Amino acid sequence: MPELIEKFSFYLEFPFVRYAIIVGVLVSLCSSLLGVTLVLKRYSYIGDGLSHVAFGALAIASVLKLTNNMLLILPVTVAVAVLLLCTGKNARIKGDAAIAMVSVGALAIGYLLMNIFSTSANISGDVCTTLFGSTSILTLKVGEVYLCIALSCIVLLTFVLFYHKIFAITFDENFARATGVNTTIFNLMIAVIVAVIIVLAMNLVGALLVSALVVFPALSAMRVFKSFFSVTVAAASISVACSLIGIVIAILAGTPVGSTIVAADIAVFGLCYLTSLVRDKRG
Amino acid sequence: MNRGFALFTLLFALSAFFAAPPAYAEKIDIDLSRMSGTVVYAMVNQMVTEPQKFKGKIVNMSGVFSSYYDNETNQRYFGCVISDALACCSQGLAFELKKPHKYPQEYPDEGTEITIRGIFDIRTEEDGVGFPVIRDAEMFR
Repeated sequence: MPELIEKFSFYLEFPFVRYAIIVGVLVSLCSSLLGVTLVLKRYSYIGDGLSHVAFGALAIASVLKLTNNMLLILPVTVAVAVLLLCTGKNARIKGDAAIAMVSVGALAIGYLLMNIFSTSANISGDVCTTLFGSTSILTLKVGEVYLCIALSCIVLLTFVLFYHKIFAITFDENFARATGVNTTIFNLMIAVIVAVIIVLAMNLVGALLVSALVVFPALSAMRVFKSFFSVTVAAASISVACSLIGIVIAILAGTPVGSTIVAADIAVFGLCYLTSLVRDKRG
Repeated sequence: MNRGFALFTLLFALSAFFAAPPAYAEKIDIDLSRMSGTVVYAMVNQMVTEPQKFKGKIVNMSGVFSSYYDNETNQRYFGCVISDALACCSQGLAFELKKPHKYPQEYPDEGTEITIRGIFDIRTEEDGVGFPVIRDAEMFR
């Protein structure tokens, strides 16, 4: 054990390891907060759909040789998030069908563009890194870290300031509208925040594993806690802890960062599930 | 007593000579062979993208031997390549050996595990394009 601590202290001397931990904690915190709302609103799979859209946008940005990919990825993902979350019941293609269509469509177009207009010698490597985020979190530039900190602060501040409104919309949108809450504006706000989180989380776990960051902490917390506030706090704590554990194990053992974080999330979900089973039997 | 002391000194000196560590062994600045695969990949990525930060540092790295012949420059380049944890992405550093070796006789086969130790530098080609390289390198198999 002291050897592992010494080894990790040695790795902490590298700036990219510190950046990975900062960004990892912030992204997992933000994703878990909105995760509770998305799971309760039956939009668990939207993270997956939007991350595929972000992948498609990344492919277009690569083809256009944009120096800052974010200038294209963020607006495109936000626009699709607004379309999926805000058109809702009035849309001609509804809910899961719309998410599935956008998800696979963006993934296919993205891969097609990357192959036809290849700008890199290692397409499969680029695709693999984007989809699974093997080491993306450890190769962040200082500018990307600052951008992530700024966007995470905006997301956290928005969530804290509008906590009661988000709570109302999550459980009963019609009742919230009847009490004077402008649900259209708040649904729009949630859509924008979800898109921002998905784009940030792609660096941490990759496009294919983003949903895990949104869904697992919320579901784990829901096994053990009952109120919206306690579930939100527990989901945030579980998400941050799993991300830290995942990053530390990945760095020490040389495993892929994204899948190690998700494995930690699955293990905690298993523990929470067992805890709820034992409690129910005793009760 | 004096003979014994002299013999001990001679044996000590000889053992020190035969077991002499490689030239850079005691002053390695970045020892990539001690790091986990994930960290090595990130570190090499940083060395390739921001080479100025590492110029002049003595680097020790383990990886797989690879070579590439450039028809434009009529030159063969040698590299030490590492893969990321998913083995889908590779990063590598070119190296130039301290003592000239004949290719292919004195080089290992492609894909052989090697350790390279040398000084990190930026080699600028005639067209002005620079690339990172470990120069004055020693190669261990």
